[in-house]
Formats: sequence, structure tokens, C-alpha cells
Amino acid sequence: MTEPDYIDFSPLDPGRDPERWARRMTATRMLVDEVLARRIGRPGALDIVGAWFRPILAAAAVVAALLGTAGAVLGGRNAALDRASEARRLAVLSDNSLGRGERPTGAQLLVAIRSRRAP
Amino acid sequence: MDETDAELVELVRRGDRRGAGRLIERYLRACRAVALAVTGVEADADDVCQDAFVVAIERIDDCRDPAKFGKWLLQIVRNRARNLIRSQAGRRTVPLDDNVPAYGRSPVAELEQVQLRERLLGALAEIPEQHREVVLLHDLEGWKHREIGARLGLPEGTVRSHLHHARRRLRQILGDGDTTE
Repeated sequence: MTEPDYIDFSPLDPGRDPERWARRMTATRMLVDEVLARRIGRPGALDIVGAWFRPILAAAAVVAALLGTAGAVLGGRNAALDRASEARRLAVLSDNSLGRGERPTGAQLLVAIRSRRAP
Repeated sequence: MDETDAELVELVRRGDRRGAGRLIERYLRACRAVALAVTGVEADADDVCQDAFVVAIERIDDCRDPAKFGKWLLQIVRNRARNLIRSQAGRRTVPLDDNVPAYGRSPVAELEQVQLRERLLGALAEIPEQHREVVLLHDLEGWKHREIGARLGLPEGTVRSHLHHARRRLRQILGDGDTTE
């Protein structure tokens, strides 16, 4: 029932252009959907890019860590071998010197130590 | 049976798109009416109602009484419409799409509609903002006095009074009564 002094606001009715109002409704729904997607953790565009990058970065970090560890291990092992060779050479030099009843000279000691850097 | 506002708000809080869609269907037009009551410009009202709805969904956890979602939402609309007016102060322009003819309408008929819209908006500008909200929600959106009272936070008697005064003043301004039935 229409009230007697009802004012006709139909010229201001958004429904006077149904297509335009439908577009407005759709646009609002889309914006709201974006908000809800963020709310429940559905991936947005940035999340998708991030999802691609994260495993790559993680893999790179693991490779770097492995290479670093291997380098450290190998480097440490070489150093240990060098020290063992050095000790062996010094031991041989000492044994020979003692066998001859002599003390090793400084030059002989220097050669024994430096020879670890020889190719 | 229609879900209550509280039920729909609960759905939205769980990220349910259907719940948000139902709230849009239920309130977007009312948001526009309130935004129009504040701004007096249809294009601005369209933008404000959309913007306010998105903000409301973003801040849905701040809605302390989900049963009063409508009242809370319309306050967001009002605030954002007022912010828009403040931001536009001194640089008001005519929106490009305000007078775009509706599909299928003749230029003469559209011109008459444009003139009628301008008269209505001009008349609305002459009455208090709260009266504008009440008369638009009642006569344009078809809300009942009780609904308007609940969603604007006004006693029903005040709604009736605002409506009466708004209509009387609008009739005086519009003069010939060709927008009343």
C-alpha cells in the first residue's frame, strides 16, 4: 500500500539502470571476495609469486650450506693432511738426524715445513 | 528462511563468500541511500557505498554486536561519505557519468529524468541530513519505520516524526507535487 504523501524518488533509484547497478554489485562482490581470500589465507597474486620464490631460495640456501660445509670439511681435511705430512717429514728428519748423531739444521727444518706447500 | 544479520556476519568471519554476498544484496542499496543523503551526489554515493562495504568486511571482527550489523555498517557509510566531502572541499567537480542516459530511454525522457533528479537532490539538500536518511530509506528503499529506527539507532516515534517533517518540507520545496503520490 502506498502512503498518501509518499514521495517518488524513483529518478534516484539505482535500479533505474539495472545493468549499471548489476556491475556495481559485481564489482563490490569481487572486492569483498579479495578481502575474504586474504582473511582465510587463500593465495593472492603476491602470495603466488612468493610461493614460487620461497622453494627456490630455500634450495639455494641448502646448496650454499652444503657447498660451504663441503668446502670447510675438505679444506679442514687438507689442512690436517698437511699437518700430518709435516709431522711425518719432521719425524723422518729427526730420526735421520738422531741416527747420524746430529741435530737437524735450520735449513733442513725449513725445508721439512715448507715442503707441505709444494705442489 | 532468510538468515539473520548475526548469522551472516558469522559466516563472513569464517571467510564465507555466500554470506558476504547476502549482506551485499541486503544492504548495498541502503548504503547508497545513506551515502546519497550525506553527499547529495549519486556518483559519490555509488563509490562510497562500495568502499564502505569493503571496509566493513575488512573490519568485520570489530562489529561487536553482529545482530546490529546494519547499524554498524551505515555508520561506516556515513563516516566515509563525510570524509569524502571533506576531501572534496574546494575542488568539487561534476561527475562524468552522472547524466549518462539509461539504455533504451529517449533523449527527451532522459532529460526529464535528469531535471527531476536535480530537483529532488536540490530539495533534499534543503532538509537535515537525518531527515534525508529517513525519507530515502523509507520512500526509496521501502524500509519500515521499525527497521529504520533499529538501523539508525532512533526510536520509532522519532523516525515517524522525521519522515513527516521531511516529506512536508520536500513537498513545500518541490511545489507542484509531481513527485508525490
